[in-house]
Amino acid sequence: MSRSPVNISGKFATPSFGLALLACLLCSGAVAQDEMERTGYFEVRSASTQSIDGVHTLDARLQLVLSSEALQALSSGVPLTIELQLEVIRARRFIWDDAVAGLAIDYELEYRPLSQRYIVQNRNSGDQDSFATLYSALNYLGRVQGLPVIDDALLEIDKNYRIRLRAVLNTQQYPAPLRLLFFWRDQWQLQSEWFEWLLER
Amino acid sequence: MVARTLKKASYTIFAAAGVGLVLVALFLLSRTAQNSADFDRLHGVLLAINIAGVLVLFAFLVGNLARLLREYRTHVPGAKLKARIVGMFVGLAVLPLLVVFYFSIQFINRGIDTWFNVEVEAGLENALSLSRAALEMQMRQHLYSTQQISQRLGDVDERQLILELSMMRRESGASEITIYGANNRILATSSDSSLARLPRPLAEEVLLQMQQDRPYVSLDPEDFEIHTAVLFSIRGRAEPIGVLQAHFPVTERLARMADSVDKSYREYQQLLFLRNPLKGTFTLTLTVVLMLSLLAAIYGAFILSRRLVAPIQDLVAATRAVAEGDFDTRLPTPSRDEIGFLISSFNDMTQRLATARREASLSQALVEAERTNLEVILARLSTGVLALETDMKIRTANQASGAILGVDLENQSGKYLAAVAKGYPLLEQFLDVAQVHLQAGETEWREQIVLRGEIGRRVLTCACTTLPGDESHAAGYVIVFDDITALLQAQRDAAWGEVARRLAHEIKNPLTPIQLSAERMRRKYLDTMSEEDAQILDRATHTIVQQVEAMKEMVNAFSDYARAPDIELGLFDMDKLVHEVVDLYRAQESGIKIILTSDPTMPMIEADIGRVRQILHNLIRNATEALEAAEDGRIDVQVGAAEFDGIQFVQIKVEDNGPGFEEGSESQIFDPYVTSKTKGTGLGLAIVKKLVEEHAGSIRAYNHQEGGAVISIRLPLNEAAREANISNSPRRADRRREGA
Repeated sequence: MSRSPVNISGKFATPSFGLALLACLLCSGAVAQDEMERTGYFEVRSASTQSIDGVHTLDARLQLVLSSEALQALSSGVPLTIELQLEVIRARRFIWDDAVAGLAIDYELEYRPLSQRYIVQNRNSGDQDSFATLYSALNYLGRVQGLPVIDDALLEIDKNYRIRLRAVLNTQQYPAPLRLLFFWRDQWQLQSEWFEWLLER
Repeated sequence: MVARTLKKASYTIFAAAGVGLVLVALFLLSRTAQNSADFDRLHGVLLAINIAGVLVLFAFLVGNLARLLREYRTHVPGAKLKARIVGMFVGLAVLPLLVVFYFSIQFINRGIDTWFNVEVEAGLENALSLSRAALEMQMRQHLYSTQQISQRLGDVDERQLILELSMMRRESGASEITIYGANNRILATSSDSSLARLPRPLAEEVLLQMQQDRPYVSLDPEDFEIHTAVLFSIRGRAEPIGVLQAHFPVTERLARMADSVDKSYREYQQLLFLRNPLKGTFTLTLTVVLMLSLLAAIYGAFILSRRLVAPIQDLVAATRAVAEGDFDTRLPTPSRDEIGFLISSFNDMTQRLATARREASLSQALVEAERTNLEVILARLSTGVLALETDMKIRTANQASGAILGVDLENQSGKYLAAVAKGYPLLEQFLDVAQVHLQAGETEWREQIVLRGEIGRRVLTCACTTLPGDESHAAGYVIVFDDITALLQAQRDAAWGEVARRLAHEIKNPLTPIQLSAERMRRKYLDTMSEEDAQILDRATHTIVQQVEAMKEMVNAFSDYARAPDIELGLFDMDKLVHEVVDLYRAQESGIKIILTSDPTMPMIEADIGRVRQILHNLIRNATEALEAAEDGRIDVQVGAAEFDGIQFVQIKVEDNGPGFEEGSESQIFDPYVTSKTKGTGLGLAIVKKLVEEHAGSIRAYNHQEGGAVISIRLPLNEAAREANISNSPRRADRRREGA
């Protein structure tokens, strides 16, 4: 059974799944020739916060490249959960740093075979969007803009804070047999490095 | 022992806890494998516990295997049996387990595969395609409608645009139509719902299509709404001024069916995707179970073999101990089975062996005690006992036999009697007599034999008999002999005493009348006779008187010899006494030189001073008489303390330079009337000997190498010395007893 998405109409062609994948590959810079071999990676390209009306909001750019197995699972109708983990850390001089606040935003990415579209749902807010290509869906996920992080009133004035961000492919929602299998597979251990910066106030 | 038991108990508890933990983990793992939500989060931990259990069991097994190999190589008893049992059990356990494992894997794989059906899959594919086709048809129609609306609105005056838009929306059945200008600005919109919700700005993909001058159509995957978008141009303008986007709802029935098809297809695809992981998980769980069972079975085989072999190993060790002579080995009876019976039989056997050995050693001890008693008796016996083999080898001899024959025979066991006898004249003569009898075939004989040695002659009474033979010893002879020299001497002494008494009695009485008669004859007739007759009478009577005097003297001496008053012991200074006696003889000026060597520091002696004085008198007189004819006569008198065999003596030695004793007469010197001298009664030395023996002393007479006689006397210093000397010399004791 072919898993490649089919255009609804040749005449009214939407960007095909193959093209999107190719774009994804090009964007990610992966050079793997065989799709099945692609390991995928998550990376925080840039991230920053700005204070708007006393609330720190996050702008970030992430590179999310799915591995072959994750892509196969997605195309098989298995939803993927990509979690953005955000931590506000108070820097301390003599003892370990203190995580003041933590924020996790779960996005569920799902492929619908009938409509041949990808749905991205913010599981925290319930908002969802659909995309014709995986590329546009991942692109949408990798672009965070104006996400409120923390109210400045909650932070102490004379203290320094750092914020760090990372993206993780969360496999916790899968049944145990799958989780067990994913535990041993590198292709399912998708997780970016922490991207850390100083909170400007 | 307690520590060992505790260690064993803790080991068992630890093992039982481990097995229990692994079993629980195994059970829970099987639950989690069935996707039980309760144990979902425990899956990893449970699997880790099980894998740890497998590893621990494996480590145990490797340890056990290494130990078994080591025991096998070093030939530890029971190792081969253990290896065979382990091999057998492993074979019995592994094959069925592997068969069950294989079929289980097959069943699981087939069971999971039966969820999937090619026809179902194809049907779903077709349903999806059909749904897609149906929707695509509607999408095409709605796109066409949208294009028509866009063209018609392009001709409409801007003021009528909203009105026309609403009208066309209703006509076309769209739920929402919006015209976007530059920068997503909404130029006009019409919706069947309230205006509470503003139309969303154009999606990027719509804009992308528009930029490429392509119409856009898509299906909302959630509510199956068809979204269309085309460029919007106003008549008279070459460039489009915006984008017209329309939303068309799909009929409810179609939407429901499409949703159902979509859902079913997705679920089926998910199942397909899950198939291999599920198989893998079940296989992994089964493998863990198999490994646990397999390793547990093998480990159990090791434990079982150890338990089975342990009593046998104990038995082997105990058998070795018994072979080495340890009969006290007792084994704990492990059970009431055949091995238990074997062990209890072994215990019975060792107990009986131990009892038998105890009894044997007891009887051996008894025999030893008897033997020791016999040896003591033999050692204390004054009779010589000499046991010989048939080939005249000494089997055993007591102390007295050596003392009698002048050879140490006690320590000559195993030697030929002839070889031992060389250089010992007494033993040689003894052997000659014995051989004469034995060679003549006489094994039972009795004889009195006289042996002649350097010291003197010895009279022995011998009796010989055969010994009963046994397995280890051939029949031999035992010769029992007694030195009766002293006994004979005593008998002789007694006879002489009797003679002396009779002589004194019978001879002394007529002597006085003879003397008186002779003196009276002389007095009465001497003056009346002629000169010549008178001279004859005078000589005759003189001779008679003189001879009667001599006879009286002789009879007195006899009387002295026979008389035996009680001994009166007392302490006195020997040095002083000997000086007194020697001075008396020196005063006689006989021309004989008497040299006295006496130790003034010697201790006081406990003896009968009268008897000792008589001894000294007799010895010196005897020497003086022996030297009467000699020129330069010389007597050496030596008196001093001495110690022999731990017994204190006073030694008196009288030497002269006279002619000495006649050759071969040394043994009879002490008999009465044995003398080489012209003068004396012949009783002097006999009396000395008698007096010495009364003091439990010893006397020896021999000739000096340079010539002259030597008489040596040893008198015990005190009562203790006398007792010791008596007990030290049974022969002497006998002699004394007989003498008394």
